[in-house]
Amino acid sequence: MRKMNAWLDHHLGYVLVIPALIFIILFSLWPVAQSTRFSFFDFQLNDQQKSGLYFTEQYNLKLMHETFDYIDYYLEIEKDTVKQSSTQERIQDTQQEILEIYESIQAMFPGQTGIVSINDQEHEFLVKASDQVLAGLEALYRIEDDFNLQEDIMMVASELETSIIQPNYVGLKNFQSVLRDPRVWQTIRVTLFFTSISVGMELVFGLILALIMNKAMIGRGLIRTFSLIPWAIPTSVAALMWAYLYNGSSGIVALILARVGIVEQATDLMLTSSSALWSIIFADVWKTTPYFALLLLAGLQVIPDSLYESAMLDGANKWKQFLHITLPLLKPSILVALLFRTLDAFRIFDLIWVLTGGGPGGTTESISIYGYKVMFAQTRFGYGAAIILVMALCVGVISYLYIKFLDIQLISD
Amino acid sequence: MINKKAERLFGAAIVLYLLIIIFPFIWVFLTSLKPESEIWGAGAFKILADQPTFEHYEALFRGNILNALKNSLIISTITTTYVTMVAAIAAYAIARLKFVGKRLILAIVLATSMFPQITVVGPIYQLFVKLNWTNSYFISLPYSMIALPVAIYILVIHFNKVPKEMEESAKIDGASKMKTFTDIILPLALPGIFTAAIITFISVWNEFLLALTLNPDSSYHTATVAITFLRGQFQIFWGQVTAATVVVTIPTLIIVILFQRQIISGLTSGAVKE
Repeated sequence: MRKMNAWLDHHLGYVLVIPALIFIILFSLWPVAQSTRFSFFDFQLNDQQKSGLYFTEQYNLKLMHETFDYIDYYLEIEKDTVKQSSTQERIQDTQQEILEIYESIQAMFPGQTGIVSINDQEHEFLVKASDQVLAGLEALYRIEDDFNLQEDIMMVASELETSIIQPNYVGLKNFQSVLRDPRVWQTIRVTLFFTSISVGMELVFGLILALIMNKAMIGRGLIRTFSLIPWAIPTSVAALMWAYLYNGSSGIVALILARVGIVEQATDLMLTSSSALWSIIFADVWKTTPYFALLLLAGLQVIPDSLYESAMLDGANKWKQFLHITLPLLKPSILVALLFRTLDAFRIFDLIWVLTGGGPGGTTESISIYGYKVMFAQTRFGYGAAIILVMALCVGVISYLYIKFLDIQLISD
Repeated sequence: MINKKAERLFGAAIVLYLLIIIFPFIWVFLTSLKPESEIWGAGAFKILADQPTFEHYEALFRGNILNALKNSLIISTITTTYVTMVAAIAAYAIARLKFVGKRLILAIVLATSMFPQITVVGPIYQLFVKLNWTNSYFISLPYSMIALPVAIYILVIHFNKVPKEMEESAKIDGASKMKTFTDIILPLALPGIFTAAIITFISVWNEFLLALTLNPDSSYHTATVAITFLRGQFQIFWGQVTAATVVVTIPTLIIVILFQRQIISGLTSGAVKE
């Protein structure tokens, strides 16, 4: 017991961080590694031949078994519908022939199930086997009789070839396609435009607001509570709220903008690409500026008053005080807030998804939205992963630039 | 004289600012009280309804919203509970104990907080499908991805503020490190832990992307997702949408009013150096 206590005392650091590390590994690091793996494959969930990650040729045993079962079942039905007894015998023979092929294939994979790896020799054998089955069936159907299911059987039998799965490892091809995909560039442009404009506006308005709040004599608590509300409500709720205010037939904001002449008609607001994008930006600025202001306000409040008092004695005016005291001392707060806001804005998803869904005509699609659509609407997880990785790379570069060149320190020692 | 003028200008700016923040909520609330006939056409731009009604709220409560709020509450509570515990012990180790690899671990924690959620959603979705975990409360587990790094970050800063002398005197008294942590540090850090819990709760309550992907079945929708499904494919029932907005905003409003100080301390703990 004592020994155990001593051990625990010695290794307590590791013992305490292990649970957190396990979560981070399972739900952050492993998925990112997995996404990276996906991006090297033509991985598509709705295509039976591409719904896994295959470096080498594979054989889908389950599909093969099912196919033979179906062929046999259909032939059994045909036997009842044909008129001549000689045809019935031919069907019997074909069934026997196919059964032999089936058994020879089964003998190759004793005790194996699911999807298995195959070599060149096996590949050749399987191709030949599936050709033999098809040839046997074709020969059967050359007989004149009342067959009913020819088309169905031939279609099912073609699945034998589908059971042979080509490797879908494509190396860097997905990334080449990403770079050549005009929609990727379009979405990157939209994302960068959105990020720079909205974060820029949030910084300017946030700074002004923080300076005003810092001077406010009364109602500070009230101002702070109000400022927290837009940040605290779910983005999807805020987006729906703005969707209502922006809608062409009963939205008050759309009506006002039309009256003022910013858009020609209220209905144009969400139906033309640039005004839809600006609407998204405005909704984001509405939601995030107060939060930005609170961050900067906290920074302002730790600047000692004595600095301003001595500056006043030296005869510096308000503007000079702002430039030489406030701004330099507020710089660390501004930079940290900017970094986190930029990263947040760059990965914008919820607001656009709910407000425009990427429309009109994909013109407000951010890169997150496009990646999500590729993965979950087209189920192309390989290509989607490549898009997302390119985006993650951009995020990495942005963070690196901020931390290196602006000298941000996230945790002081 | 000039100061008086400036003060008035400041006052006006603040009032304008508060109005801009609050206007959408008020307008949405007023709409939610209008009968369907007044939401469209000329009635849409009237401030008050001619015939105020609660019909949209009644329709809403007959639907899925209460169940969705329940799901959100359960998922957020589970996540907040375990994330806060896991983060508290990890943050204590990072802030106070010496061990090899500490800086690396902190770097990993900070880096994961910068990952876009969309980088993990594909693999996690496939994992959930394989384990048959979609449409369940298991979604709380991957929520560690969004909540844990932030909670650890907030708590490391809070533990750093607890005076070291307390630990040293406990050490002289012969207490083990674990005992020092549970009996001395933890009680002192409770406000910080509470702050981390509130921030975690809000971020999980508000999460959309994973909830949309992992719990697509309406019986497991969270509030953030359920509310977006009120817009039908061909028709939008703004009455219900606005009523739902009001209903879903209320819990957030209560949390903000009650815990304003803790939230601000959590949000600004990284931004301010003291």
